[in-house]
Amino acid sequence: MTCSEVERVLPEMLDGAPGGGLNADFESHVRGCPGCSDLVSELKLISIEARQLAARDEPAPRVWVRIATELRAEGLIREPEPQSAPTRPMLVSTFSRWRWSAWWLAPVAAALLAAGSYVVSHTPAPQVAKQQAPATSVTATAAETPSASTPTQARQQMAPKSGTPRDMTATAVATAVEAAPSAEDQQFLSAVSTLVPSMRATYESELQAVNADIRESQAYLDRNPGDGEARQHLMDAYQQKALLYQIALDRIQ
Amino acid sequence: MTDPKQGITEAEAIEQAKQGHEAAFEALYHLHKRRVYSLCLRMVSNPVQAEDLAQEAFLQLFRKISTFRGESAFSTWLHRMTVNVVLMQLRKKGLPVVSLEETLEADDEAPRKEFGAKDLRLTGAIDRLQLQRAIDRLPPGYRTIFVLHDVEGFEHNEIAQMVGCSVGNSKSQLHKARLKLRGYLKFMRAEKAKTG
Repeated sequence: MTCSEVERVLPEMLDGAPGGGLNADFESHVRGCPGCSDLVSELKLISIEARQLAARDEPAPRVWVRIATELRAEGLIREPEPQSAPTRPMLVSTFSRWRWSAWWLAPVAAALLAAGSYVVSHTPAPQVAKQQAPATSVTATAAETPSASTPTQARQQMAPKSGTPRDMTATAVATAVEAAPSAEDQQFLSAVSTLVPSMRATYESELQAVNADIRESQAYLDRNPGDGEARQHLMDAYQQKALLYQIALDRIQ
Repeated sequence: MTDPKQGITEAEAIEQAKQGHEAAFEALYHLHKRRVYSLCLRMVSNPVQAEDLAQEAFLQLFRKISTFRGESAFSTWLHRMTVNVVLMQLRKKGLPVVSLEETLEADDEAPRKEFGAKDLRLTGAIDRLQLQRAIDRLPPGYRTIFVLHDVEGFEHNEIAQMVGCSVGNSKSQLHKARLKLRGYLKFMRAEKAKTG
C-alpha cells in the first residue's frame, strides 16, 4: 500500500477498520512510514480529545432563571401548595434572616465585576498583588461601587472604576481565584442555605462551576499572558459569578 | 440516572414534571444542562447564542414532556431535540449545515502540505482551549459534522438523517474537518513556539 492509498482509505480505517487484507496492508504501511504514522496518530488524538469537550461547559445561572420564568408564564409550572399554619413562623423568621444576611451580595457582585475588569485591562500578577493589601479590601472596594439590579446594569458596571486602588482590586482578583471558598463565597453559601434544598443545591453547584472556570482560565492566562481571548474568557467567568450573586440577591430579597 | 442534588431519579423527575412540579423541571435541567449547553456552544461558537439555544431546547422539551412515553432514552430525546433546534437556527441564518466546500475544493487538505516539521507533531494531550478554538474556526458545515460525531458521539447514519445528507458525505466531511483541525492546531503550536 502506498501513502496515497493510505490517505484514500484513512476515513474508513479511523472509524472502524473494514477488516480483511486491507487492514493488514494499512497497518503494515503505517508502521513503516513516519509521515502516515504521524497522520494517523494525530487524527486519532484529535478525535479522542474532542470527546472530552462534551458536557464540559456550564451555562450561566440566568438560563435556568429564564426557563423557569417562561414555564411559569406558560402555566407549565404550578405554584406550590400554600404552607400550612405551623410552618409560618419559621418562614417569617427565615425571611428576616435572608434580608439581614443578604445585604453584602450586591457590593460583592460589583467587586467581582471590578476584579474581572482589572484582569482584562492588566496582566495579572495575583500572588504579588495579594501581599500588598489586607484581605478585607474586597468589601472595602465593593462598598464604593453601586449595586446592579439587573444583568444589563451589571454588565454596564463592568468598566474599570477610575480611582480604584490597583492593589485592592488585585486582591479581589487573587481572592476570587483561590481554590478554597473565599470569605465572600462562604457568606454566599450561608445566605443561600436558607433557601429550599433544590434552589440551594443549584446555587452551590453554580458557584462551584464558575469558580472552577475562573481558576482554569486564570491558570491558562498565567501561562499565556498575551492571549486576549483567554483574558476575555476570564472576564466572562467573573461576569457570570457577579451575575450569580446578583440573581441570589434578587431571589432572597 | 439520579440527580444527586435533588435525590430523585430521572424517571421520577419526568413524572413529577408532567404534574408541573418546579423542582422536577429543575432537576431535569441540572442533569442535562452541561451537555445541552456544550453541544450548542460547540455548534455555534457563540456563548450568548448557545445560551438562547439551550434555553429553547429545554423549553421545547418541557412543553412536550407530557408526550414522553419512555420508549427511547430521555437523554437521546433531549439531545436530538437540541440538535434540531441548533440546525434550525443555522438554517434560519442561512449558514450551511453541510459544507459546500466539498464540491468547491479539490484536494485542499493533502495531509502533509501543512506544518509537517517533526518538532510540531501533536504529541501528548492537546490543550482543550486550543482544540475548542480550532473547532470554532472550522467552516459551519464541517463543524456541525465534527461536533455531532467526534464530540457528541452520534453515528454517521444518525447524522445523515438529522442533517439531511448521505452517510458517505458525513464520513467525508468528518475526515476533512479532522484534517483541518490538525492543520489549525499545528499552526497554533508553531505560532506559540515563535512568540513564546
